[in-house]
Amino acid sequence: MPAGGCKDFMKPENTPPENELECLELENPGACDDFCRSADPEGPLTVYQVRQKHNVHFTGTAGEYFRIWIVNLFLTVLTLGIYAAWAKVRTRRYFYAHTFLADQPFDYMANPWFILRGNVFIGAGILFYLAAERLAPIYGVIVVVLFYAGLPFLVYKSLRFNAHNSTYRNIRFRFCGSLKDGYKTYLLVPLMIPLTLGLIVPYWIYRRKKYFFENFSFGCTRNVFRGTAGPFYRAYSYAGLIMMGLAAVAAGSTFLIVTRWRNFALQLDGALGLSTLAPIGAYLAALLAFTFVQQFLYARLTNYCWSRTCPQGLRFESRLKARRLLWLRLTNVLAVILSLGLLIPWAKVRRTRYILNSLTVITDRSLDAFAAAETPVESAVGETATDFFDIDIGL
Amino acid sequence: MISFKATYFDGTISTPHRVQVRSDGAGLRIRFETDSRPEIRFALKDCHFRPPLGKANRSILLPGGARCDTEDREAAAVLEAHRGLNRGMRMVGFIESRWKLALGSLAGLVLCIWSLTSFGIPLLADFAAAAVPAEFSRELSRQALEVLDTRFFEPSQLDRDRSAELQKLFRRIVDHQGSRMHPVLEFRKGGPVGPNAMALPSGLILVTDELVALAANDHDIAGVMAHEIAHVENRHGLRTLFQNTGVFLLLSVLAGDVTSVTSLAGILPLILIKSGYSRRFESEADRAAGTLLVEMGWGTAPFRNILTRISHETPGRPVYSLFATHPNLDERIRLLKQLDADD
Repeated sequence: MPAGGCKDFMKPENTPPENELECLELENPGACDDFCRSADPEGPLTVYQVRQKHNVHFTGTAGEYFRIWIVNLFLTVLTLGIYAAWAKVRTRRYFYAHTFLADQPFDYMANPWFILRGNVFIGAGILFYLAAERLAPIYGVIVVVLFYAGLPFLVYKSLRFNAHNSTYRNIRFRFCGSLKDGYKTYLLVPLMIPLTLGLIVPYWIYRRKKYFFENFSFGCTRNVFRGTAGPFYRAYSYAGLIMMGLAAVAAGSTFLIVTRWRNFALQLDGALGLSTLAPIGAYLAALLAFTFVQQFLYARLTNYCWSRTCPQGLRFESRLKARRLLWLRLTNVLAVILSLGLLIPWAKVRRTRYILNSLTVITDRSLDAFAAAETPVESAVGETATDFFDIDIGL
Repeated sequence: MISFKATYFDGTISTPHRVQVRSDGAGLRIRFETDSRPEIRFALKDCHFRPPLGKANRSILLPGGARCDTEDREAAAVLEAHRGLNRGMRMVGFIESRWKLALGSLAGLVLCIWSLTSFGIPLLADFAAAAVPAEFSRELSRQALEVLDTRFFEPSQLDRDRSAELQKLFRRIVDHQGSRMHPVLEFRKGGPVGPNAMALPSGLILVTDELVALAANDHDIAGVMAHEIAHVENRHGLRTLFQNTGVFLLLSVLAGDVTSVTSLAGILPLILIKSGYSRRFESEADRAAGTLLVEMGWGTAPFRNILTRISHETPGRPVYSLFATHPNLDERIRLLKQLDADD
């Protein structure tokens, strides 16, 4: 990939010599745990003079974000959707500006006019789809096929746009992934899902994470991702086992009720209308099980990906716990439903705070010594498209 | 002269510099506190102020890619106001910073959604339906008819004389009402649909054999025909289509970033609003049919009878009136009786 303009890069004094770093990589292929967890001062890492731990710290509050959120919604509806572009920039800026690393905040610099242009493009596309689909279903199918063919391009553009507009200490992030890899990740591999009876799904998730973690870079510090598909398959196997276990418990208890406590259950049914409530109960139980597995996978895979992301001089440690995420999710959903949506900002701030505060950045040199690279301006079309269709492309 | 402390980043390397910023309203001077760098000066008009956002630090983007972040929001606001920058966003920031105004926005939001769904969207849908070329609605109806014919309907088994009689009745009603849309009547064997009638946007009206059989006399069927003709004449089909599209777009804008939390909760209001529109059109068609029947001197009793019989023939309909596409039967009958009384 083109290195971008790294001409101004000032090499900090305490960076280890190039050859020693390579040596280290050969000794420990495919992992950066050595760097993160090694407590042995006489190991091969003694060349790192400065090793600093920085906890990411989120300072946003539910009250302040609620006001921004409600004003955003009001102005968006009042302007018939035009303000949505500004609303999005403000929301994202709020979350970035309250994310601190080593006392300095992040920033989101996107120009709302670009996003408005993207919104208009996508809105026209949707209207076109609705009209085409009504006129003849076959046109609708064609539009959907075109959409999926264009999706990798939109994801690629969106990742670039977002990276380019994210800054920390006035240094822009970059997304260095290629469009070709984007098409492999978002079109070729998913096309193989039916052929492999879904067995390729963990690999697909791995490829998506890889596409992001490998290519998201800070300034001219290129990311290195050393993850493999194995842990993804392990995580999904556990998830499958958990699901089967919960299903077995549900089936077993139903069996017990029907055989042992039949009379009691019939009495209860008479009193409470249990048989009508049972499907609702079963649905809620299934939803609960699904949510648990979802949070388990999120915690495990996010932690794994961060631990295997090792750009030169940087390591990450994410300590998400599935139980805590599940608790947050359940209470959030309940709060949002009971408050008719008014607690959405509270829920969002709460979850973001937990996820970000669980992340630690470890550096072998001062955070003051990262250099910028030149990147071209990105269009916002991809950015809005992925947002509008709500495709999970991120972490 | 305004002076405040800030953190300076040159844009090429991530090193923060503690600086003192001073401005006389025309220029900006940046003096480094710890480094021995020389003071830098900029014209204030070349500097770009990032709009205010809550209690977040203020940032000034300097020419050449450098930037200053400061916790002194007031000082930055004074300079910004002096230069007359970010007027709109300063206003937004002001509203966001006050609870009373934020709650006012909530009230405004509710008011906006209410007026959009009850007036704005129906009005826009009406304009859109009127602007649609006849070609489009014909094609639309052809598609719908194809689906109905392959999935539900079978060819009508009505004998020729009866069908000719009913066509004559239909023409009589159309002539009486005076028509712009040229409705056409056809019969189908309803099968799973049962006794029913429907209108397609092109003006094609379908009546099932089962409905014809259910009717005690021709006046019963006349009421149903008039109801469907009213749907056609008022372009209810196309208007429903555009209204539902409008509501879908409105909800997409509202849901925005929260789809993952509330995907289920987002569907409920959609169904609620859609069925509300549908009930409004049904009442409109009922009123038109009732008025016609009264004018013909038949009264609304035949129409009321057949509505009652249809609802008995199709049991198991959901009774939750908020979600129903048709108004409650008692409600429809009350409205029709009122037309009789008015006469």
